[in-house]
Amino acid sequence: MGYAAPDNDQESPAATGARVLRVVGARRRFGERNALDGVDLELGAGEIYGLLGPNGAGKTTLVRAISGRLRLDGGRVDVCGLDPGADRSARRRLGLVPQEIALYGELTALENLTVFGRLMGLGRRECRRAADRLLETIGLADRADDLVASLSGGMKRRLNVAAGVIHRPRLLLLDEPTVGVDPTARESIHELLLELRREGLAMVLTTHDLEQAAELADRVGILIDGRIRAEGQVDDLVADSFGGGRELVVALREPAPEGTTSALEGRGLRPFRDRRIWTGRIDRGREDLSSLAADLESAGLRVEEVRVREPGLRGVFFRLAGRDIDA
Amino acid sequence: MTGAVFRAMLIGLVRDRAALAMSFVLPAVFFLIFAAIFAGATGEQLRLEVAVADEVRDENSTRLVDAIAADPALLVIGDGVLDADTVRDWVRRGTADVGLVIRADAEPLDSLGGFGPAPLVVISDPVRGVAVPMLEGQVQKAYFAALPDVALGGVMGLVEDQFIELNEVQRAELADGLAELRDEADAGEAASWGFEDLFEEVSVAGESAARNHVAYYAGAVAVLFLLFSSVHGAISLIEERESGVLDRILAGPGRIGVLVNGKFLFLVMQGFIQVAVIFVIAWIVYDVDLPGHLLPWAVTTLLAAAMAGGLALVVAALCRTKRQAQTVANVAILVLSALGGSMVPRFFMPELLQDLGWLTPNTWALEAYTAIFWRDQGIGSLVLPWAMLAAAAGLGLWLAHRASRRLEIL
Repeated sequence: MGYAAPDNDQESPAATGARVLRVVGARRRFGERNALDGVDLELGAGEIYGLLGPNGAGKTTLVRAISGRLRLDGGRVDVCGLDPGADRSARRRLGLVPQEIALYGELTALENLTVFGRLMGLGRRECRRAADRLLETIGLADRADDLVASLSGGMKRRLNVAAGVIHRPRLLLLDEPTVGVDPTARESIHELLLELRREGLAMVLTTHDLEQAAELADRVGILIDGRIRAEGQVDDLVADSFGGGRELVVALREPAPEGTTSALEGRGLRPFRDRRIWTGRIDRGREDLSSLAADLESAGLRVEEVRVREPGLRGVFFRLAGRDIDA
Repeated sequence: MTGAVFRAMLIGLVRDRAALAMSFVLPAVFFLIFAAIFAGATGEQLRLEVAVADEVRDENSTRLVDAIAADPALLVIGDGVLDADTVRDWVRRGTADVGLVIRADAEPLDSLGGFGPAPLVVISDPVRGVAVPMLEGQVQKAYFAALPDVALGGVMGLVEDQFIELNEVQRAELADGLAELRDEADAGEAASWGFEDLFEEVSVAGESAARNHVAYYAGAVAVLFLLFSSVHGAISLIEERESGVLDRILAGPGRIGVLVNGKFLFLVMQGFIQVAVIFVIAWIVYDVDLPGHLLPWAVTTLLAAAMAGGLALVVAALCRTKRQAQTVANVAILVLSALGGSMVPRFFMPELLQDLGWLTPNTWALEAYTAIFWRDQGIGSLVLPWAMLAAAAGLGLWLAHRASRRLEIL
């Protein structure tokens, strides 16, 4: 593997070893809106943290705060014990993989890596060695001299990740690293991220792809309205939300009017924003829904679908956010 | 880090043929067109198209028409066989710049001081008013050069009529002298009998006005394209913002100042080469003395490129989108270039606009280039333009840093 996060940090005695990132009580307001409302987050070496949240929840703001580009109204961020907003050496331990293909299209794959390596403070030779190793790792050694503009979408995505780790950061911030790629390319990026994790890189993975978060993340955090509303391993979050039960989903043909929903609420179902979809927990072995259908019809609600399914991260997100993550 | 930004921009330019053409070929072509136009506009190559109607068709009038036709400054169309109405019509329609009618019902060409109508009528269109004095001057010159016997004979007739009456012997000697003068004129020997000696032309612009006009337009076109191509290059800052490259860089140890400085250095280099291409062409094609003024030219060009780079980066740092930056830059560049003399020399402009021109960097760049190539002045005259260009460059770079810093920390 071409990437290896440094075992120890010789540049600063303040580096803290296993704990790579700590965010404590981060607050930031934009006008009337609390973009960050007391966010706490810790991350250790070799850990992937899935940061989930609907659009406008504050994910980008949090990533900016971690990368030292946001003045906080309160709280603090440290990367390896250093403030990334004030300390260049803290930012040297950071890598970013933006959602866009943040590469120079008219440069070759190798040239892109060396340019970003130099911009991250690597020396010329060190940069070249790291670029060659990374190109091997991402399977682009034979395309090193091809212009990025001529590479496939999947290749560009892999190179996009590689450019974020050319300087061997301790913490990598990934924003939707697989958006718009085919399943094969997505799989190869997953393999790359897991390889980076094995080698000790800590990652914050911002994604709308709940399956990806469930597959890759050691822990996930669900950020809603500037606050982390739930955090932990996926199985624990599911268990917290659904106990040992299953997820019951009722889809109505039209939003339920006020005063007609006692049958739904009486069974612990909660609506999404448009009050057409209702979801809740149902105990295993008590899945006889015939009385539910009758109650709904007598309340004048027309049912499109009633479904019982194994709960997952999507169900957890639904319950917390009151909407789908893509909505 | 600055070197990495410079390298990325350099490779990008070298691989982008359209940008290469825009930066180096288009300005050169544009300059050649301007130079061809304005080298002619100095009067050295200008030919006035004259429609001539000779109603008299005697020996003298034919000699005058022939002399006018032989004048390199005039191009006679219609060949003297037109009538006065046709001449009027041609001038009205723009077929001819100006018309000349040698009138039959007027004083003859060898008559001076008569009371009848003037023998020559100039037909003019007010939109080409400058053609009238030009034609009158050239016709008078031709009259005295090609028909000296007629002119002198007319003068002597007037003298005899008004002052002294010649006797027969004197008249015979005069006739012999005039005949001799005519023979010399016909042979092209007596080009004049002294009138041309009245003027000696001394130009403050040196040997060739055309060459100096070319030098002026080399500077004018260079500054215009310096601004355009610098903006084109600086807009990469917006592209990097849109593509996420800026976020990637800012998450690392380098701050945005590194990016701005790297781009600035690249734009200075690009601008220097761009101007060099134009002046080398001016040197090779139009004999503008670049080798003789290499050092002051290089300093001026370096400062002008720095000025353009600094201002372009301000635009790129302030604008949110490429489209916005291009629109703002196009308008600003055209206004600055118009006021600053990149399109039309400032001495053609009303005084107010000339005064406003001092606020444009184009003016100072052109002041420096004209001081070097046109007026051939010493380094002393360049200190102020250089200082102004350096100040514009420094101010631009400082503003670009300040404006871009707001992208860095939110």
